[in-house]
Amino acid sequence: MGPDSAPGPAVPWQKVLWERQPFPDNYVDQRFLEELRRNEGVRQYRYWSVVKEAGFVGQQLSCVALFITLWLYMEQGLLSPEMLLLTSLVCALLGYGLHQVLTSQIEPGCEPRTRLADLQSAAIFLSFTFGFSPVLKTLTESVSTDTVYAMSAVMLLAHLVSFPYAQPSPPGSLSLNAALFASVCLASRLPGALHTFAMLSCALLVFALWPCLLQRLRENAPNQFTGVCVGMCIGGVGGLGTQSLGGAMLLAIALGSVTLLCPLLLVRLQRHKDNIHGPWDEAEIHEDLSRFLH
Amino acid sequence: MVLKIFFPQCCNRADSGLLVGRWISGHESAVVLAVIHYPFIPGQVKQYVQQMQTRSGVELSVLGSWSLPKEGQEGMESFLRDLSTIFPQKRWLQISRQMGKTGFICNVLNRDHDGESAQKVKRKKKHEDVKGDEGEEDKEEEEEEEKVIFIHYEQRKVMMSQLHPIENGLQDPKTDSPSELRQMFQTVAQSQPLFFMDKYDDGPLKSTHWQSEGREASIIVELLKQASVPLCLLVTWLLSLWTWICNIRIFSLYPFCFLSSKLSTCVQLSYRTEHMRTLSSPRPAAGHTQFMRKANIFVSFLVDVALGMLLISWLYRDNHISMLANTLVPAADHVAKQLEELLQWLMGAPAGLKMNRALDQVLGRFFLYHIHLWISYIHLMSPFIEGIFWYGGLSACLGLTFALSLLSDMVALLTFHIYCFYVYGARLYCLKIYGLSSLWRLFRGKKWNVLRQRVDSCSYDLDQLFIGTLLFTILLFLLPTTALYYLVFTLLRLVVVLFQGVLHLSVDFINSFPLFAVGLRVCRFYRLAEGVKFRVLCDEPGTALHLLMEINPLKVSTVVQTYRTPTYSCYPKDSWAALVKKLFVGELIYPWRHKTTKTD
Repeated sequence: MGPDSAPGPAVPWQKVLWERQPFPDNYVDQRFLEELRRNEGVRQYRYWSVVKEAGFVGQQLSCVALFITLWLYMEQGLLSPEMLLLTSLVCALLGYGLHQVLTSQIEPGCEPRTRLADLQSAAIFLSFTFGFSPVLKTLTESVSTDTVYAMSAVMLLAHLVSFPYAQPSPPGSLSLNAALFASVCLASRLPGALHTFAMLSCALLVFALWPCLLQRLRENAPNQFTGVCVGMCIGGVGGLGTQSLGGAMLLAIALGSVTLLCPLLLVRLQRHKDNIHGPWDEAEIHEDLSRFLH
Repeated sequence: MVLKIFFPQCCNRADSGLLVGRWISGHESAVVLAVIHYPFIPGQVKQYVQQMQTRSGVELSVLGSWSLPKEGQEGMESFLRDLSTIFPQKRWLQISRQMGKTGFICNVLNRDHDGESAQKVKRKKKHEDVKGDEGEEDKEEEEEEEKVIFIHYEQRKVMMSQLHPIENGLQDPKTDSPSELRQMFQTVAQSQPLFFMDKYDDGPLKSTHWQSEGREASIIVELLKQASVPLCLLVTWLLSLWTWICNIRIFSLYPFCFLSSKLSTCVQLSYRTEHMRTLSSPRPAAGHTQFMRKANIFVSFLVDVALGMLLISWLYRDNHISMLANTLVPAADHVAKQLEELLQWLMGAPAGLKMNRALDQVLGRFFLYHIHLWISYIHLMSPFIEGIFWYGGLSACLGLTFALSLLSDMVALLTFHIYCFYVYGARLYCLKIYGLSSLWRLFRGKKWNVLRQRVDSCSYDLDQLFIGTLLFTILLFLLPTTALYYLVFTLLRLVVVLFQGVLHLSVDFINSFPLFAVGLRVCRFYRLAEGVKFRVLCDEPGTALHLLMEINPLKVSTVVQTYRTPTYSCYPKDSWAALVKKLFVGELIYPWRHKTTKTD
């Protein structure tokens, strides 16, 4: 019986398998694709809101650039470790105050960390970093500089890729670890143990604490958040510009493409979206890859 | 149905008489064991058979008659037929052979038909018998429907041989009874009392079997049997003394216990004690397996002691001991110097590897100091080394295995510095590997869930992440240095372990090799049978089959496998992959934990 042979009208076709019906297996009636739905639950993006969100990515990029700039200054001896430490301390205190202010604004229901715990964490950071800085200083002595640079670059890239941009407040393990690894590598190239200590403290500030503060800012003061992002981007480009113009240009291009061009592409390409849904199971191909291993 | 008659070759030329043997139940076969000659009194024969049956445990019976008429003796047919009424049997065999024609005639009388004995006659005529008893070619002229196959067997060999695989009498009664062949072998082996009566006996009966010309015995064996009783008593007394010493409480304390389990001399001593205990037990060996085990142990012990004596005779001649002692200290010095050079090389830039200089220097100096300590120790010991050798050499009179075990222990003690280096290196490396693997999980934001035995994701605190990453970086950059030290010292350690493994293997070989069984296989191959093969003696059409049963000897490899004295090396060992994994992870490897011996 072929699919063309007309069925008797007496027996209506049912979409069931357990009954024997006078239809071929591949028979479908007119109701086929009736239940097809397209683009269900698709959000329509507006350009400027996307740009605003992408600002976070841009500012993280420029954070990395800023850190590299600081390291360059330290390596060339243009910035003394004491100065950096002092600046970091002031920034940390200011940031901590701001963080406290922003936290006290919101709900008191969820239990905040006590001051003592914060102090304990800070003591642990500082003591460990200070204690290990001589070890870290000699750690990569025999490894060639190129290897260290390559490793740092890969790790910073991994940090940027794996950074949890949507919810950065408890920092993602992989991104933070990659950034810290890279900063340890870079810091071990600096001339003295104090340099290493200052650099690591700075890395902690930039990669671990700054995203937390920024998240608070994004939640509680969206307007200021945009301003801070723009400021960070400009600061990153400007800072890198004092060291290498080419790097600054590249960073500017990258920032422009991430914050302006990519959202444009997203909004443009949105209308080509064609997602189909229906009351069927989607076909999934489970290729057995294990046979290629033998 | 085919009637199989197992007929001993030694009875081919026997005088006329009664066939004594056994019907194998369940099979159409009879085993002829002996011929009891005329003249006899039937009552005495019945009594004798009864007596033999109780002594051997075999269901013996009179199977029939055998006649080999001398010149002029004719007309016994009716007499023979009458005999069957004296010894009432279900079946009565009348086998006869004529002297002139060397013919075989077999009559089977069945008593099935009540009272009236039906007679079935077989007649076989022997053709020209050239080789006498050995290769008979029989021709059978069949006249009745029941076929008879004669299977000639050598009684002596069959009695002494042991059919493999061995069944120790613990057979499940529900399963099938043993095979026909096995039953036949058992019958012949168990009817040993039947073969004790020879022609010099003064009894009222005369019989023919393999020992009828005189019993086989060796005067040396008898003397040894006599001598073994007081010897066993002495050994038992010594053993009890030795066991008492070993059981003193001080030896069960921790350090003694630990040491004695690690020193191969002590291990060998305990094995030897076990062996001697087996040998000197007053009970006779029950069963073939235990007998072979005892004999194997005894022969290995003798060979071991003989080899040890050879070693002693070489060692104490021409001042070999002092020569050895004098070469030992310079050798140890040389090894230490080589090690120092190796360490100096490692402290530089070995093979152009990028090592962490600070750690490298620390490790190198630590090991150098260790070598320095070791050398002073050796020099302190050097005056006593010759004495140690002299007294240690005496242990060889207990056997070569003791000397080898002592050598292994001495090697272990003399290379203690290498062992220490290895342990330090392995511990450090192991610590790093484990630390790195768990910190790598932290690096990816995962953790090991002990309860579920899997890796779960986990959100760490900021400070945990920070310290973990710091440690991870440090460990990662220090790993190559540690790994190199570990690698070098592991290789050194492997050389020592390999040497010790070879010594242990040879000791184990001497301990466990079944010399007696192999000797039996070589000299008396029929003692260990794996089965039988039949050679056709007569294959002409119209004649019945005459087969010669020959014993198939056991394969030598099977002999070794079956009779190997069980020792530690018989147990399954770790595979190579497991060993490599252990080495990679940095777990310690030892030669005395015999599961992980590197050789073999």
